[in-house]
Amino acid sequence: MIELETKGTLTVNEPVISIDNLTVEYVSPRGVIKAVRGVSLKVYRGETLFIVGESGSGKSTLGLAMLNIVPRPGRIAGGSITYHIDGRNVNILDLPLEDQRAFRWKNVAMVFQSALNSLNPVLRIWDQMYDTIESHDKHISREEVYEKVRRLLYLVRLDPDRVLKAYPHQLSGGMRQRVMIALALLLDPKVLILDEPTTALDLLTQKSIMEVLKNIKKELGLTMIFITHDLSLAAELADRVAVMYAGKLVELGDVYDIFYRPRHPYTFALMKTVPKLTSIDEELYPIPGSPPDMANLPPGCKFHPRCPYATRACSDVEPSEEWLTPSHLVACHRHRDLSLRVEAR
Amino acid sequence: MSLKNLLRAVLGNYLFKRALRAFGIIVAASTITFFIIRLMPSNPIEIFINQMMSAYGMSYEDAKAMALALFTIDLDKPLHEQYFEYVTNIIRGNLGTSISISPGTPVMNVVTAFLPWTLFSVSISLFSSFLLGITLGMIAAYRRGGIFDRVVSTVAAVTSAIPGYLLGILIVVFIGVRFGLINYMRGAYSAGLTPGFNLPFIVDVFLHLAAPFTTYVLSTWGGWMLSMKANTVAVLGEDYVTVARAKGLPEGRIRTQYVGRNAMLPLFTSLAISLGFIFGGSTLIENVFVYRGVGRLLWSSINARDYTVMQAVFLIITISVVVSNFLADLIYSLIDPRVRVGG
Amino acid sequence: MSLKNLREATRIYLVDPLKLISRKKSGLVALFGLLIYIIMALFGPYLVPLDITPKPGKRYLPPSLEHPLGTDFEGKDIFSQIVNGAWDVLYVAFLASSFTILIATLLGSISGFKGGFVDSIIMAVDEILLTIPQFPLLVVLAALVRLDNFTLALVLGVLSWPALARAIRAQILSLKERDFIEAARALGLGLKHIIFVEMIPNLLPYIVVSWILSMTGAIYSQVGLVFLGFVPFTSHNWGVMINLAWTWGAIYHKDSVWYIISPIFAIIFFQLCTISFASSLEEILNPRLREVR
Repeated sequence: MIELETKGTLTVNEPVISIDNLTVEYVSPRGVIKAVRGVSLKVYRGETLFIVGESGSGKSTLGLAMLNIVPRPGRIAGGSITYHIDGRNVNILDLPLEDQRAFRWKNVAMVFQSALNSLNPVLRIWDQMYDTIESHDKHISREEVYEKVRRLLYLVRLDPDRVLKAYPHQLSGGMRQRVMIALALLLDPKVLILDEPTTALDLLTQKSIMEVLKNIKKELGLTMIFITHDLSLAAELADRVAVMYAGKLVELGDVYDIFYRPRHPYTFALMKTVPKLTSIDEELYPIPGSPPDMANLPPGCKFHPRCPYATRACSDVEPSEEWLTPSHLVACHRHRDLSLRVEAR
Repeated sequence: MSLKNLLRAVLGNYLFKRALRAFGIIVAASTITFFIIRLMPSNPIEIFINQMMSAYGMSYEDAKAMALALFTIDLDKPLHEQYFEYVTNIIRGNLGTSISISPGTPVMNVVTAFLPWTLFSVSISLFSSFLLGITLGMIAAYRRGGIFDRVVSTVAAVTSAIPGYLLGILIVVFIGVRFGLINYMRGAYSAGLTPGFNLPFIVDVFLHLAAPFTTYVLSTWGGWMLSMKANTVAVLGEDYVTVARAKGLPEGRIRTQYVGRNAMLPLFTSLAISLGFIFGGSTLIENVFVYRGVGRLLWSSINARDYTVMQAVFLIITISVVVSNFLADLIYSLIDPRVRVGG
Repeated sequence: MSLKNLREATRIYLVDPLKLISRKKSGLVALFGLLIYIIMALFGPYLVPLDITPKPGKRYLPPSLEHPLGTDFEGKDIFSQIVNGAWDVLYVAFLASSFTILIATLLGSISGFKGGFVDSIIMAVDEILLTIPQFPLLVVLAALVRLDNFTLALVLGVLSWPALARAIRAQILSLKERDFIEAARALGLGLKHIIFVEMIPNLLPYIVVSWILSMTGAIYSQVGLVFLGFVPFTSHNWGVMINLAWTWGAIYHKDSVWYIISPIFAIIFFQLCTISFASSLEEILNPRLREVR
């Protein structure tokens, strides 16, 4: 079900993060796999940006790269990720290791995909909260930490007395994900990245986590980056949406443009997979073909083998990114001559 | 709590169940020993009686009476009564009297004279080997694919493929004989020294420990190293380690509390189980170095046809395994919160 | 079994694994080494007859062209003893690990398939045997019963099955849950099909690897017993050589070094070849492992 909410227009267009020409690769026995291939992207203060795409499109890797924690055998092969925080411009990739450590979580925190494995199984929730604060602020007292943790747990609607003493395995999936959200807010980060925050959960839990997230957005007003394949979540929360395919941005725009006036055939196909409000039993349109093999990408536009509008040029040259309006970007050879219409819902 | 609930809680208790099982296995092990002693085609009691008759010209009755006194098994009683008596005696700690190694001494006393030496030598070696293995294993996991990892892993695989006692023999031949150190590779301390807490004796004991220690460590560190490496590599791929990095925890804390703790957890069980095999696994190496431990005692008791001592050593070896398996469960339930459950 | 099936089976169980192992260098070297040992055991005595005449003038000679590994305390050729000693060791290892596999597979699969009471009984026996330290029990048995090669192999087999049976039971339990077995059942393919076409090919790699690996355990125990002198010296083998070298003064004289290290290294190389071959085989047969490394 899709329901677009009215968004407050962004008053100040001030970026918090500028990603420039970022490339991330994984070294595997089959060769070097480029998971992120030259992505440039600005994230604005206070906005909620969604990065959507199929699995394997590089969106999760992009999220990890923003904290410079891409696990081995992955590595950031080029580009920069600059944070504009407190009047300073900091490229996290250039920071000395110790400064990077201090930078993380305090400025940018992350909620991970699998609530099941995100918490250390042998430490109590309290210890995992406390060690996080303690490694950023040596002088804080236990009472202060407790007060803060308690407030945050209430915010995500958990009972602190019960949760703090527990080990992760004693909590349900939904509770663990709330703990992760509270943990992410612990140091008042400016930016919060959420990688598929609701995927591993059942429907009811998904709904309640979403309520929590909406609430957080309203109360804390921080910059949020959602990484997801769940478009209904985007419809509810997003200000802007970035669409990724095969490690590259194919389209970027505000939520109305992406949902109602997509200019890339992939975005268009993606929107058609979303069930509509008007009729429940209407047919769904899955995208034909399968996601590309990242170790063996096709030449030209990476989407052309699955694209119904592909021409000769599409299989020869990879299209460059073009700004249609100051806020709408697309990378498609045929964006001018195609009229892709998504019916109003 | 009502009596019924209490009873249910006790019976359903994890540890109680484990203890019951351990007890069951001890009974089973002593049953096996009983059958070996009593029902084998050439059982030691018959052998002993025949020996007494032929060597000292005793009558069958006298020899049998002597056997009865030594073995605490009365051959005239029905089999099930013999068995029952035998098991109760064991539980009481009455294992009979030594036949030939130290005639007339209760077997318990003979065994306890040898036991501490094995406990001392093997436990020191075991802990050193464990520490060495997990340290190198963790380093190798952090540098997997690198030159350190490859060299150490290969050496580990090779040394753990070689039977320990053959390594011991090689040490004797190549170091002991070649460099004239053989005297330090025979026995637990030099002949002529009186055991006691004085410096020369303690130094001497450690000099004699060197060769068996090296042998134990060389043949076991590889196993620890390889499993620690595998566990660490697996844990490094876990999400909570990535989360710990994202949280900006200091690398040292991630290494100990997040990676190390989780990777070592399964190894503690193996360590406790290995502790149980301290007595069982020392037979061959102690004989290479003539080290005066239970493994050597087992050998001597067989050579001297001292069947009561042999039986006792075997039983103690088995019981120590059962007890430490039980302890392994206990330790594991203490250190892994996931199994820390009452029911 | 029809000819087509036979050909198919040869391909799956013989040709393909050999092709795969030829790709892994260490496995190939190990296989080559094992072949030398097998040839030595089978044909060695015909190629290099055992030297049994004591030659007092030639005691403890160092290696030379005439005596590639030198001579022993009676002046007998060591190399011929190594070659002729292979049979005993390999025979016991082969037989013992075959017994182990046979018992383990049988009891493990009965336990896994039947479940219930039978399962509990088998697992209880399994646990008891797993707890009792094997080598001391062997020593005690050897003190009371005369263990010739066959009996020794049988006893080793009877004592060594528990760990493997447990693993096979676990594998069967997990296989039972898997989709393709369910599918085969739903298709009405019958128990025979399920066992021979689905289960055995899935378990076989595991069983083969365990069979090879359990030889090393058998050799450890067998040579150990001979070294301690608890098994009658029926013939010439490496264990006997080590025992003789040891009791004839290897610990005091440097000159007997060749006599004692020859059988030791014969055993060590065999163990290394076996383990390395087994682990390459495992890597080849188990696609999951292949990806990880």
